[in-house]
Amino acid sequence: MTDTTPATPLTIALPKGRLQEQVQELFRRKGIEFSFENRKLVALDKSGGFQFFLVKNSDLPTYVNHGIAGLGFCGEDVLYEHGGSFIRLSDFPFGGTSMCIAGKKGGSFEHHGGTVTVATKFTSFTRDYFHKEGLPVEIIKLNGSVELAPVLGLAPYIVDLVETGTTLKANNLEVYQKLSDIKVYLIANPAYYKLYYRQINAFTQKILASTADR
Amino acid sequence: MSRKKRLLQIPQGAEGIYLEEALKHKMVIRRIEDLYVRWGYLPIETPVFDFFDTYRPYIPADQLDKIYRLMDREGDLLMLRSDVTLFLCKQMGLALNGSDLPLRVFYGDTILRHQNFEDISKNEFFQMGAELIGVPGTDGDLEVLCLAVELLESLGIQWKLHLGSSAILAPLFSSLQTDNVQELHQAVLVRDFSTMKTLLTEGGVPDATAEVMKDLCSFIGTPREFEQFTAGINQSFYAGDIYNELARLKNLLAALDRVTDTANIRVDLSELGSQTYHTGMVFQGYTPGIDSAFLSGGRYDRLLDDFGFDACAAGFSFLLRKIEGMLPHNERPCAISAKGNSFEERLGNAKVLRAQGKTVHL
Repeated sequence: MTDTTPATPLTIALPKGRLQEQVQELFRRKGIEFSFENRKLVALDKSGGFQFFLVKNSDLPTYVNHGIAGLGFCGEDVLYEHGGSFIRLSDFPFGGTSMCIAGKKGGSFEHHGGTVTVATKFTSFTRDYFHKEGLPVEIIKLNGSVELAPVLGLAPYIVDLVETGTTLKANNLEVYQKLSDIKVYLIANPAYYKLYYRQINAFTQKILASTADR
Repeated sequence: MSRKKRLLQIPQGAEGIYLEEALKHKMVIRRIEDLYVRWGYLPIETPVFDFFDTYRPYIPADQLDKIYRLMDREGDLLMLRSDVTLFLCKQMGLALNGSDLPLRVFYGDTILRHQNFEDISKNEFFQMGAELIGVPGTDGDLEVLCLAVELLESLGIQWKLHLGSSAILAPLFSSLQTDNVQELHQAVLVRDFSTMKTLLTEGGVPDATAEVMKDLCSFIGTPREFEQFTAGINQSFYAGDIYNELARLKNLLAALDRVTDTANIRVDLSELGSQTYHTGMVFQGYTPGIDSAFLSGGRYDRLLDDFGFDACAAGFSFLLRKIEGMLPHNERPCAISAKGNSFEERLGNAKVLRAQGKTVHL
Protein backbone atom coordinates (compact mmCIF):
# COMPACT_ATOMS: atom_id res chain seq x y z
CA MET A 1 0.00 0.00 0.00
CA THR A 2 1.25 3.50 -0.78
CA ASP A 3 -0.19 6.95 -0.17
CA THR A 4 -2.09 6.78 -3.43
CA THR A 5 -3.09 3.15 -3.77
CA PRO A 6 -4.30 1.68 -0.46
CA ALA A 7 -4.42 -2.10 -0.67
CA THR A 8 -4.00 -3.23 2.92
CA PRO A 9 -5.60 -1.91 6.09
CA LEU A 10 -3.97 0.62 8.39
CA THR A 11 -2.52 -1.28 11.34
CA ILE A 12 -3.32 0.04 14.82
CA ALA A 13 -2.12 -1.27 18.21
CA LEU A 14 -4.47 -0.92 21.15
CA PRO A 15 -3.42 -1.35 24.79
CA LYS A 16 -5.30 -4.00 26.76
CA GLY A 17 -7.52 -2.72 29.54
CA ARG A 18 -9.63 0.36 30.16
CA LEU A 19 -7.93 2.45 27.49
CA GLN A 20 -8.85 -0.16 24.90
CA GLU A 21 -12.52 0.16 25.87
CA GLN A 22 -12.36 3.95 25.64
CA VAL A 23 -10.68 3.87 22.25
CA GLN A 24 -13.06 1.23 20.95
CA GLU A 25 -16.01 3.33 22.09
CA LEU A 26 -14.57 6.35 20.26
CA PHE A 27 -14.19 4.25 17.10
CA ARG A 28 -17.73 2.92 17.41
CA ARG A 29 -19.05 6.50 17.49
CA LYS A 30 -17.08 7.23 14.32
CA GLY A 31 -18.48 4.20 12.53
CA ILE A 32 -15.38 1.99 12.87
CA GLU A 33 -16.67 -1.23 14.39
CA PHE A 34 -14.66 -4.28 15.39
CA SER A 35 -14.39 -6.83 18.18
CA PHE A 36 -11.75 -9.26 19.43
CA GLU A 37 -13.53 -12.60 19.28
CA ASN A 38 -12.67 -15.75 21.26
CA ARG A 39 -9.70 -14.18 23.01
CA LYS A 40 -8.11 -13.38 19.65
CA LEU A 41 -5.65 -10.50 19.71
CA VAL A 42 -6.06 -9.43 16.09
CA ALA A 43 -9.26 -7.97 14.63
CA LEU A 44 -10.30 -6.40 11.35
CA ASP A 45 -12.99 -3.71 11.30
CA LYS A 46 -16.15 -4.26 9.27
CA SER A 47 -14.95 -2.06 6.38
CA GLY A 48 -11.63 -3.91 6.15
CA GLY A 49 -9.82 -0.58 6.33
CA PHE A 50 -8.28 -1.06 9.77
CA GLN A 51 -6.55 -3.96 11.46
CA PHE A 52 -6.22 -3.86 15.25
CA PHE A 53 -3.70 -5.59 17.48
CA LEU A 54 -4.38 -5.96 21.19
CA VAL A 55 -1.08 -5.69 23.05
CA LYS A 56 0.20 -5.17 26.57
CA ASN A 57 0.36 -1.46 27.33
CA SER A 58 4.11 -1.38 27.96
CA ASP A 59 4.83 -3.36 24.75
CA LEU A 60 2.80 -1.06 22.51
CA PRO A 61 5.66 1.32 21.60
CA THR A 62 7.80 -1.68 20.64
CA TYR A 63 5.23 -2.86 18.10
CA VAL A 64 4.92 0.63 16.63
CA ASN A 65 8.67 1.25 16.71
CA HIS A 66 9.21 -1.86 14.59
CA GLY A 67 6.39 -0.89 12.24
CA ILE A 68 4.46 -4.09 13.03
CA ALA A 69 1.64 -1.74 13.93
CA GLY A 70 1.90 1.55 12.08
CA LEU A 71 -0.23 3.41 14.60
CA GLY A 72 -1.05 3.00 18.28
CA PHE A 73 -2.87 4.54 21.22
CA CYS A 74 -0.54 4.99 24.12
CA GLY A 75 -0.06 6.95 27.35
CA GLU A 76 2.73 9.50 27.58
CA ASP A 77 4.20 7.59 30.56
CA VAL A 78 4.79 4.47 28.47
CA LEU A 79 6.17 6.48 25.55
CA TYR A 80 8.61 8.24 27.83
CA GLU A 81 9.95 5.01 29.28
CA HIS A 82 10.34 3.44 25.84
CA GLY A 83 12.33 6.41 24.55
CA GLY A 84 11.61 5.84 20.84
CA SER A 85 10.83 8.53 18.28
CA PHE A 86 7.16 8.58 17.35
CA ILE A 87 4.91 11.05 15.60
CA ARG A 88 2.22 12.16 18.04
CA LEU A 89 -0.76 12.71 15.79
CA SER A 90 -3.21 13.79 18.45
CA ASP A 91 -3.97 13.67 22.16
CA PHE A 92 -7.32 12.67 23.65
CA PRO A 93 -9.39 13.77 26.62
CA PHE A 94 -9.83 10.25 27.95
CA GLY A 95 -7.27 8.16 29.80
CA GLY A 96 -5.49 11.21 31.16
CA THR A 97 -3.77 10.97 34.52
CA SER A 98 -0.94 12.55 36.52
CA MET A 99 2.60 11.52 37.40
CA CYS A 100 3.06 12.32 41.09
CA ILE A 101 5.50 11.95 43.91
CA ALA A 102 3.83 10.47 46.99
CA GLY A 103 4.73 9.22 50.44
CA LYS A 104 3.27 8.54 53.89
CA LYS A 105 0.30 10.63 54.91
CA GLY A 106 1.25 13.68 56.97
CA GLY A 107 4.74 13.84 55.51
CA SER A 108 6.13 15.99 52.72
CA PHE A 109 8.74 15.83 50.03
CA GLU A 110 11.93 17.21 51.54
CA HIS A 111 15.49 17.22 50.31
CA HIS A 112 18.49 18.67 52.03
CA GLY A 113 21.17 18.29 49.43
CA GLY A 114 21.51 14.51 49.75
CA THR A 115 20.38 11.78 47.40
CA VAL A 116 16.63 11.24 47.13
CA THR A 117 15.53 7.61 47.21
CA VAL A 118 12.48 6.86 45.10
CA ALA A 119 10.70 3.61 44.22
CA THR A 120 8.97 3.62 40.85
CA LYS A 121 8.04 1.78 37.68
CA PHE A 122 8.93 4.88 35.69
CA THR A 123 12.70 4.97 36.00
CA SER A 124 13.53 7.16 32.99
CA PHE A 125 10.91 9.76 33.82
CA THR A 126 11.97 9.84 37.49
CA ARG A 127 15.69 10.09 36.75
CA ASP A 128 15.17 12.87 34.20
CA TYR A 129 12.76 14.78 36.43
CA PHE A 130 15.08 14.85 39.44
CA HIS A 131 18.14 15.60 37.35
CA LYS A 132 16.30 18.51 35.76
CA GLU A 133 15.59 19.75 39.29
CA GLY A 134 19.30 19.40 40.06
CA LEU A 135 18.76 16.63 42.61
CA PRO A 136 20.72 13.37 42.78
CA VAL A 137 18.33 10.43 42.91
CA GLU A 138 18.60 6.75 43.78
CA ILE A 139 15.92 4.81 41.96
CA ILE A 140 14.54 1.47 43.07
CA LYS A 141 12.81 -0.19 40.13
CA LEU A 142 9.54 -1.93 40.93
CA ASN A 143 7.12 -3.57 38.53
CA GLY A 144 3.90 -3.15 40.51
CA SER A 145 2.27 -2.46 43.90
CA VAL A 146 4.58 0.53 44.21
CA GLU A 147 2.50 1.84 47.13
CA LEU A 148 4.05 -0.81 49.34
CA ALA A 149 7.50 0.79 49.16
CA PRO A 150 6.93 3.61 51.70
CA VAL A 151 4.64 1.40 53.83
CA LEU A 152 7.30 -1.32 54.22
CA GLY A 153 10.22 1.09 54.36
CA LEU A 154 11.83 0.28 51.00
CA ALA A 155 11.86 3.98 50.00
CA PRO A 156 10.37 7.13 51.53
CA TYR A 157 8.94 8.28 48.21
CA ILE A 158 7.28 6.76 45.18
CA VAL A 159 6.75 8.25 41.72
CA ASP A 160 3.64 6.80 40.18
CA LEU A 161 0.55 7.52 38.10
CA VAL A 162 -2.33 8.86 40.17
CA GLU A 163 -5.82 8.96 38.76
CA THR A 164 -8.21 9.14 41.72
CA GLY A 165 -5.81 8.63 44.64
CA THR A 166 -7.95 5.82 46.07
CA THR A 167 -5.11 3.26 46.20
CA LEU A 168 -2.83 5.80 47.86
CA LYS A 169 -5.48 6.61 50.46
CA ALA A 170 -6.13 2.93 51.17
CA ASN A 171 -2.45 2.50 51.97
CA ASN A 172 -2.25 5.62 54.13
CA LEU A 173 -0.27 7.53 51.50
CA GLU A 174 -0.83 10.90 49.84
CA VAL A 175 0.38 12.93 46.89
CA TYR A 176 3.14 15.37 47.82
CA GLN A 177 3.54 16.93 44.42
CA LYS A 178 2.20 16.57 40.88
CA LEU A 179 5.16 16.23 38.52
CA SER A 180 3.40 16.13 35.15
CA ASP A 181 0.09 15.64 33.39
CA ILE A 182 0.00 12.42 31.39
CA LYS A 183 -2.09 12.30 28.21
CA VAL A 184 -3.08 9.54 25.82
CA TYR A 185 -1.74 9.96 22.29
CA LEU A 186 -2.36 8.48 18.88
CA ILE A 187 1.18 7.75 17.71
CA ALA A 188 2.65 6.73 14.38
CA ASN A 189 5.86 5.09 13.32
CA PRO A 190 7.59 7.92 11.37
CA ALA A 191 8.42 5.73 8.33
CA TYR A 192 4.89 4.32 8.24
CA TYR A 193 3.51 7.85 8.33
CA LYS A 194 5.71 8.85 5.38
CA LEU A 195 4.29 6.02 3.27
CA TYR A 196 0.64 6.35 4.25
CA TYR A 197 0.27 9.99 5.27
CA ARG A 198 -2.85 10.56 3.19
CA GLN A 199 -4.79 7.66 4.74
CA ILE A 200 -3.46 8.44 8.21
CA ASN A 201 -4.43 12.11 7.96
CA ALA A 202 -7.90 11.13 6.76
CA PHE A 203 -8.23 8.62 9.61
CA THR A 204 -7.08 11.18 12.21
CA GLN A 205 -9.53 13.75 10.90
CA LYS A 206 -12.30 11.18 11.03
CA ILE A 207 -11.79 10.25 14.66
CA LEU A 208 -11.31 13.86 15.70
CA ALA A 209 -14.30 15.10 13.71
CA SER A 210 -16.23 16.06 16.83
CA THR A 211 -14.55 18.50 19.19
CA ALA A 212 -16.04 16.52 22.11
CA ASP A 213 -13.44 13.82 21.44
CA ARG A 214 -10.45 16.15 21.75
CA MET B 1 30.15 -17.36 30.77
CA SER B 2 30.01 -21.09 30.00
CA ARG B 3 31.38 -22.34 26.67
CA LYS B 4 27.91 -23.36 25.48
CA LYS B 5 26.46 -19.96 26.39
CA ARG B 6 29.34 -18.19 24.65
CA LEU B 7 28.79 -20.23 21.47
CA LEU B 8 25.09 -19.45 21.44
CA GLN B 9 25.50 -15.73 21.85
CA ILE B 10 26.82 -13.23 19.33
CA PRO B 11 27.65 -9.64 20.29
CA GLN B 12 24.92 -7.07 19.69
CA GLY B 13 25.37 -5.60 16.21
CA ALA B 14 27.20 -8.62 14.76
CA GLU B 15 25.72 -10.87 12.10
CA GLY B 16 26.61 -14.00 10.18
CA ILE B 17 25.03 -14.88 6.82
CA TYR B 18 25.13 -18.47 5.60
CA LEU B 19 24.78 -20.60 2.48
CA GLU B 20 21.90 -19.66 0.18
CA GLU B 21 21.19 -16.43 2.04
CA ALA B 22 24.86 -15.50 1.71
CA LEU B 23 24.76 -16.40 -1.99
CA LYS B 24 21.75 -14.18 -2.51
CA HIS B 25 23.52 -11.39 -0.58
CA LYS B 26 26.57 -11.66 -2.85
CA MET B 27 24.47 -11.76 -6.03
CA VAL B 28 22.46 -8.70 -5.00
CA ILE B 29 25.68 -6.82 -4.25
CA ARG B 30 27.10 -7.82 -7.63
CA ARG B 31 23.96 -6.62 -9.41
CA ILE B 32 24.06 -3.26 -7.63
CA GLU B 33 27.78 -2.85 -8.19
CA ASP B 34 27.27 -3.56 -11.90
CA LEU B 35 24.75 -0.72 -11.97
CA TYR B 36 27.23 1.68 -10.37
CA VAL B 37 29.96 0.63 -12.80
CA ARG B 38 27.61 1.22 -15.76
CA TRP B 39 27.14 4.77 -14.46
CA GLY B 40 30.93 5.26 -14.45
CA TYR B 41 31.46 4.95 -10.70
CA LEU B 42 34.66 3.35 -9.34
CA PRO B 43 34.91 1.21 -6.22
CA ILE B 44 36.56 2.35 -3.02
CA GLU B 45 37.46 0.36 0.09
CA THR B 46 37.66 2.06 3.47
CA PRO B 47 39.50 0.98 6.64
CA VAL B 48 37.65 -1.09 9.21
CA PHE B 49 38.68 1.27 12.02
CA ASP B 50 40.06 4.77 12.37
CA PHE B 51 40.66 7.44 15.00
CA PHE B 52 37.45 8.33 16.81
CA ASP B 53 38.36 12.00 17.33
CA THR B 54 38.53 12.56 13.55
CA TYR B 55 34.84 11.76 13.17
CA ARG B 56 33.45 12.81 16.54
CA PRO B 57 32.14 16.24 15.33
CA TYR B 58 30.07 14.60 12.58
CA ILE B 59 28.36 11.92 14.61
CA PRO B 60 24.88 12.89 15.85
CA ALA B 61 24.49 12.69 19.63
CA ASP B 62 21.88 9.93 19.40
CA GLN B 63 24.24 7.78 17.30
CA LEU B 64 27.25 7.99 19.62
CA ASP B 65 26.22 5.12 21.86
CA LYS B 66 25.92 2.84 18.83
CA ILE B 67 29.60 3.15 17.96
CA TYR B 68 32.07 0.49 19.02
CA ARG B 69 35.21 2.13 20.36
CA LEU B 70 38.52 0.63 21.37
CA MET B 71 41.96 1.72 22.46
CA ASP B 72 45.03 1.10 20.31
CA ARG B 73 48.48 0.21 21.67
CA GLU B 74 49.48 3.89 21.86
CA GLY B 75 46.40 4.75 23.88
CA ASP B 76 44.50 6.49 21.05
CA LEU B 77 40.78 5.96 20.87
CA LEU B 78 39.65 4.16 17.72
CA MET B 79 36.21 3.50 16.32
CA LEU B 80 35.00 0.62 14.19
CA ARG B 81 33.46 1.66 10.87
CA SER B 82 29.86 2.61 11.63
CA ASP B 83 29.25 4.76 8.55
CA VAL B 84 31.21 4.24 5.34
CA THR B 85 30.57 7.78 4.02
CA LEU B 86 32.57 9.49 6.77
CA PHE B 87 35.50 7.10 6.42
CA LEU B 88 35.36 7.57 2.65
CA CYS B 89 35.51 11.37 2.96
CA LYS B 90 38.71 11.18 4.97
CA GLN B 91 40.28 8.83 2.42
CA MET B 92 39.18 11.09 -0.44
CA GLY B 93 40.43 14.18 1.35
CA LEU B 94 43.88 12.59 1.63
CA ALA B 95 44.05 11.18 -1.89
CA LEU B 96 42.34 13.73 -4.14
CA ASN B 97 43.74 16.60 -6.11
CA GLY B 98 41.96 19.03 -8.41
CA SER B 99 42.69 17.12 -11.61
CA ASP B 100 40.77 14.09 -10.29
CA LEU B 101 37.45 15.90 -10.41
CA PRO B 102 34.73 15.13 -11.03
CA LEU B 103 35.05 11.78 -9.29
CA ARG B 104 32.43 9.08 -9.00
CA VAL B 105 32.89 6.39 -6.35
CA PHE B 106 30.83 3.56 -4.88
CA TYR B 107 31.23 1.24 -1.92
CA GLY B 108 29.58 -1.70 -0.24
CA ASP B 109 30.87 -2.82 3.10
CA THR B 110 30.08 -4.15 6.51
CA ILE B 111 29.37 -1.58 9.20
CA LEU B 112 29.31 -2.20 12.92
CA ARG B 113 26.73 -0.52 15.10
CA HIS B 114 25.56 -1.58 18.51
CA GLN B 115 21.92 -2.61 18.55
CA ASN B 116 19.79 -2.77 21.67
CA PHE B 117 18.17 -6.10 22.39
CA GLU B 118 14.97 -4.50 21.20
CA ASP B 119 16.44 -3.33 17.88
CA ILE B 120 16.30 -6.77 16.30
CA SER B 121 14.82 -5.59 13.03
CA LYS B 122 17.15 -2.66 12.43
CA ASN B 123 19.59 -4.78 10.40
CA GLU B 124 22.19 -2.05 10.10
CA PHE B 125 24.97 -4.39 9.03
CA PHE B 126 25.84 -3.63 5.42
CA GLN B 127 25.97 -0.22 3.80
CA MET B 128 26.15 0.38 0.05
CA GLY B 129 26.38 3.78 -1.53
CA ALA B 130 27.60 6.09 -4.25
CA GLU B 131 29.16 9.52 -4.00
CA LEU B 132 29.61 12.14 -6.70
CA ILE B 133 32.47 14.53 -5.92
CA GLY B 134 33.07 17.82 -7.67
CA VAL B 135 29.79 18.36 -9.53
CA PRO B 136 27.95 21.33 -7.99
CA GLY B 137 24.37 22.48 -8.19
CA THR B 138 21.41 21.01 -9.99
CA ASP B 139 23.40 18.78 -12.34
CA GLY B 140 25.12 17.04 -9.42
CA ASP B 141 21.87 16.70 -7.46
CA LEU B 142 20.09 15.34 -10.52
CA GLU B 143 22.74 12.72 -11.24
CA VAL B 144 22.61 11.43 -7.66
CA LEU B 145 18.80 11.40 -7.62
CA CYS B 146 18.52 9.67 -11.00
CA LEU B 147 21.04 7.02 -9.93
CA ALA B 148 19.09 6.46 -6.71
CA VAL B 149 15.82 6.17 -8.66
CA GLU B 150 17.33 3.68 -11.13
CA LEU B 151 18.74 1.66 -8.25
CA LEU B 152 15.38 1.59 -6.45
CA GLU B 153 13.60 0.57 -9.64
CA SER B 154 16.13 -2.21 -10.22
CA LEU B 155 15.55 -3.65 -6.75
CA GLY B 156 11.97 -4.52 -7.66
CA ILE B 157 10.41 -3.28 -4.41
CA GLN B 158 7.77 -0.65 -3.70
CA TRP B 159 9.44 2.60 -2.69
CA LYS B 160 8.92 6.27 -2.02
CA LEU B 161 11.67 8.86 -1.99
CA HIS B 162 11.02 11.85 0.28
CA LEU B 163 12.99 14.86 -0.85
CA GLY B 164 13.70 17.97 1.22
CA SER B 165 16.48 20.42 1.89
CA SER B 166 18.60 20.84 4.98
CA ALA B 167 19.35 24.39 3.85
CA ILE B 168 15.82 25.72 4.28
CA LEU B 169 15.79 25.76 8.07
CA ALA B 170 19.55 26.22 8.41
CA PRO B 171 19.55 30.07 8.08
CA LEU B 172 17.32 30.25 11.15
CA PHE B 173 19.67 28.09 13.25
CA SER B 174 22.27 30.83 13.67
CA SER B 175 20.20 32.45 16.41
CA LEU B 176 19.65 29.16 18.28
CA GLN B 177 21.85 27.46 20.85
CA THR B 178 23.31 24.04 19.94
CA ASP B 179 20.98 22.15 22.30
CA ASN B 180 17.98 23.93 20.83
CA VAL B 181 19.09 23.10 17.26
CA GLN B 182 19.16 19.40 18.19
CA GLU B 183 15.78 19.72 19.89
CA LEU B 184 14.41 21.49 16.82
CA HIS B 185 15.72 18.74 14.53
CA GLN B 186 14.04 16.13 16.70
CA ALA B 187 10.78 18.13 16.80
CA VAL B 188 10.69 18.35 12.99
CA LEU B 189 11.57 14.65 12.66
CA VAL B 190 8.54 13.64 14.74
CA ARG B 191 6.42 16.37 13.18
CA ASP B 192 5.94 18.23 16.45
CA PHE B 193 5.52 21.57 14.76
CA SER B 194 4.23 23.44 17.77
CA THR B 195 7.52 22.73 19.63
CA MET B 196 9.37 23.66 16.46
CA LYS B 197 7.62 27.02 16.29
CA THR B 198 8.20 27.70 20.00
CA LEU B 199 11.93 26.98 19.65
CA LEU B 200 12.18 29.27 16.64
CA THR B 201 10.37 32.18 18.28
CA GLU B 202 12.37 31.73 21.50
CA GLY B 203 15.49 31.93 19.33
CA GLY B 204 14.40 35.33 18.01
CA VAL B 205 12.76 34.27 14.74
CA PRO B 206 9.78 36.58 14.00
CA ASP B 207 6.44 34.93 14.74
CA ALA B 208 5.17 35.27 11.15
CA THR B 209 8.34 33.63 9.75
CA ALA B 210 8.12 30.82 12.32
CA GLU B 211 4.52 30.22 11.27
CA VAL B 212 5.49 30.01 7.61
CA MET B 213 8.33 27.60 8.44
CA LYS B 214 5.87 25.49 10.40
CA ASP B 215 3.60 25.31 7.34
CA LEU B 216 6.51 24.51 5.04
CA CYS B 217 7.91 21.74 7.23
CA SER B 218 4.50 20.13 7.70
CA PHE B 219 3.99 19.77 3.95
CA ILE B 220 4.26 16.39 2.24
CA GLY B 221 3.09 15.96 -1.32
CA THR B 222 3.92 15.43 -4.94
CA PRO B 223 6.17 17.93 -6.74
CA ARG B 224 3.08 19.37 -8.44
CA GLU B 225 1.28 19.77 -5.09
CA PHE B 226 4.40 21.46 -3.70
CA GLU B 227 4.39 23.96 -6.54
CA GLN B 228 0.76 24.85 -5.78
CA PHE B 229 1.40 24.93 -2.02
CA THR B 230 4.35 27.32 -2.18
CA ALA B 231 2.53 29.60 -4.61
CA GLY B 232 -0.03 30.18 -1.86
CA ILE B 233 2.49 31.23 0.80
CA ASN B 234 3.22 34.89 1.40
CA GLN B 235 6.84 35.11 0.32
CA SER B 236 7.49 38.34 2.20
CA PHE B 237 7.91 36.29 5.38
CA TYR B 238 10.88 34.36 4.00
CA ALA B 239 14.39 35.48 4.74
CA GLY B 240 16.28 35.90 1.43
CA ASP B 241 18.33 32.72 1.74
CA ILE B 242 15.24 30.64 2.55
CA TYR B 243 13.55 32.01 -0.53
CA ASN B 244 16.64 31.21 -2.63
CA GLU B 245 16.82 27.65 -1.30
CA LEU B 246 13.13 27.07 -2.01
CA ALA B 247 13.67 28.36 -5.54
CA ARG B 248 16.64 25.97 -5.92
CA LEU B 249 14.51 23.06 -4.74
CA LYS B 250 11.68 23.93 -7.15
CA ASN B 251 14.20 24.21 -9.96
CA LEU B 252 15.58 20.77 -9.07
CA LEU B 253 12.08 19.27 -9.00
CA ALA B 254 11.24 20.75 -12.39
CA ALA B 255 14.48 19.36 -13.87
CA LEU B 256 13.88 15.98 -12.24
CA ASP B 257 10.39 15.85 -13.70
CA ARG B 258 11.88 16.37 -17.17
CA VAL B 259 14.38 13.50 -16.90
CA THR B 260 12.67 10.80 -14.84
CA ASP B 261 9.33 9.54 -13.60
CA THR B 262 8.57 11.38 -10.34
CA ALA B 263 5.51 9.32 -9.38
CA ASN B 264 7.37 7.93 -6.35
CA ILE B 265 8.94 11.24 -5.32
CA ARG B 266 7.42 13.20 -2.47
CA VAL B 267 8.48 16.67 -1.42
CA ASP B 268 8.84 16.61 2.34
CA LEU B 269 10.54 19.52 4.09
CA SER B 270 10.52 17.66 7.39
CA GLU B 271 13.42 15.70 5.89
CA LEU B 272 16.37 17.61 7.30
CA GLY B 273 19.04 15.06 6.46
CA SER B 274 20.20 12.00 8.31
CA GLN B 275 23.59 13.59 8.95
CA THR B 276 24.67 16.90 10.45
CA TYR B 277 27.00 17.64 7.50
CA HIS B 278 24.31 17.94 4.82
CA THR B 279 24.20 21.37 3.16
CA GLY B 280 21.44 21.21 0.53
CA MET B 281 19.04 18.68 -0.89
CA VAL B 282 18.42 15.64 1.32
CA PHE B 283 16.33 12.56 0.73
CA GLN B 284 15.28 9.35 2.40
CA GLY B 285 13.84 6.16 0.92
CA TYR B 286 10.98 4.20 2.48
CA THR B 287 9.38 0.90 1.64
CA PRO B 288 6.33 -0.85 3.16
CA GLY B 289 7.17 -3.29 5.93
CA ILE B 290 10.43 -1.62 6.95
CA ASP B 291 10.34 0.32 10.20
CA SER B 292 12.54 3.26 9.20
CA ALA B 293 14.18 4.85 6.16
CA PHE B 294 16.49 2.33 4.49
CA LEU B 295 18.12 4.80 2.12
CA SER B 296 19.37 8.30 2.79
CA GLY B 297 21.40 10.82 0.92
CA GLY B 298 22.01 14.42 0.11
CA ARG B 299 24.47 17.16 -0.71
CA TYR B 300 27.43 17.87 1.56
CA ASP B 301 29.55 20.65 0.11
CA ARG B 302 31.72 21.42 3.14
CA LEU B 303 32.60 18.01 4.55
CA LEU B 304 35.51 17.19 2.25
CA ASP B 305 37.07 20.57 3.04
CA ASP B 306 37.17 19.51 6.71
CA PHE B 307 39.23 16.51 5.62
CA GLY B 308 41.74 18.55 3.62
CA PHE B 309 40.25 18.85 0.13
CA ASP B 310 37.79 21.55 -0.84
CA ALA B 311 35.23 19.98 -3.18
CA CYS B 312 31.48 19.83 -3.28
CA ALA B 313 29.85 16.42 -3.11
CA ALA B 314 26.52 14.61 -3.06
CA GLY B 315 25.59 10.98 -2.69
CA PHE B 316 23.48 8.40 -0.96
CA SER B 317 23.77 5.15 0.86
CA PHE B 318 21.39 2.41 1.88
CA LEU B 319 21.31 -0.41 4.39
CA LEU B 320 21.12 -3.50 2.22
CA ARG B 321 20.31 -6.03 4.96
CA LYS B 322 17.25 -4.01 5.93
CA ILE B 323 15.57 -4.76 2.59
CA GLU B 324 17.35 -7.89 1.44
CA GLY B 325 14.62 -10.22 2.68
CA MET B 326 12.10 -8.42 0.46
CA LEU B 327 14.13 -8.64 -2.73
CA PRO B 328 12.98 -11.13 -5.39
CA HIS B 329 14.45 -14.64 -5.10
CA ASN B 330 15.63 -14.83 -8.68
CA GLU B 331 19.23 -14.73 -7.45
CA ARG B 332 19.15 -18.38 -6.41
CA PRO B 333 20.72 -20.66 -9.03
CA CYS B 334 19.38 -24.18 -9.05
CA ALA B 335 22.41 -26.49 -8.83
CA ILE B 336 22.16 -29.85 -10.56
CA SER B 337 24.22 -33.00 -10.05
CA ALA B 338 26.61 -34.08 -12.78
CA LYS B 339 25.91 -37.61 -14.00
CA GLY B 340 28.60 -40.29 -14.37
CA ASN B 341 29.96 -43.40 -12.71
CA SER B 342 33.42 -42.05 -12.04
CA PHE B 343 34.75 -38.71 -10.87
CA GLU B 344 36.37 -38.12 -14.26
CA GLU B 345 33.10 -38.77 -16.08
CA ARG B 346 31.16 -36.48 -13.74
CA LEU B 347 33.80 -33.75 -14.10
CA GLY B 348 33.63 -33.97 -17.88
CA ASN B 349 29.82 -33.80 -17.96
CA ALA B 350 29.86 -30.91 -15.51
CA LYS B 351 32.28 -28.99 -17.74
CA VAL B 352 29.90 -29.33 -20.68
CA LEU B 353 26.89 -28.22 -18.63
CA ARG B 354 28.74 -25.30 -17.04
CA ALA B 355 29.72 -24.12 -20.52
CA GLN B 356 25.95 -23.97 -21.21
CA GLY B 357 25.54 -21.64 -18.22
CA LYS B 358 24.23 -24.25 -15.77
CA THR B 359 25.24 -24.50 -12.13
CA VAL B 360 26.59 -27.99 -11.51
CA HIS B 361 28.10 -29.81 -8.57
CA LEU B 362 30.04 -33.02 -8.71
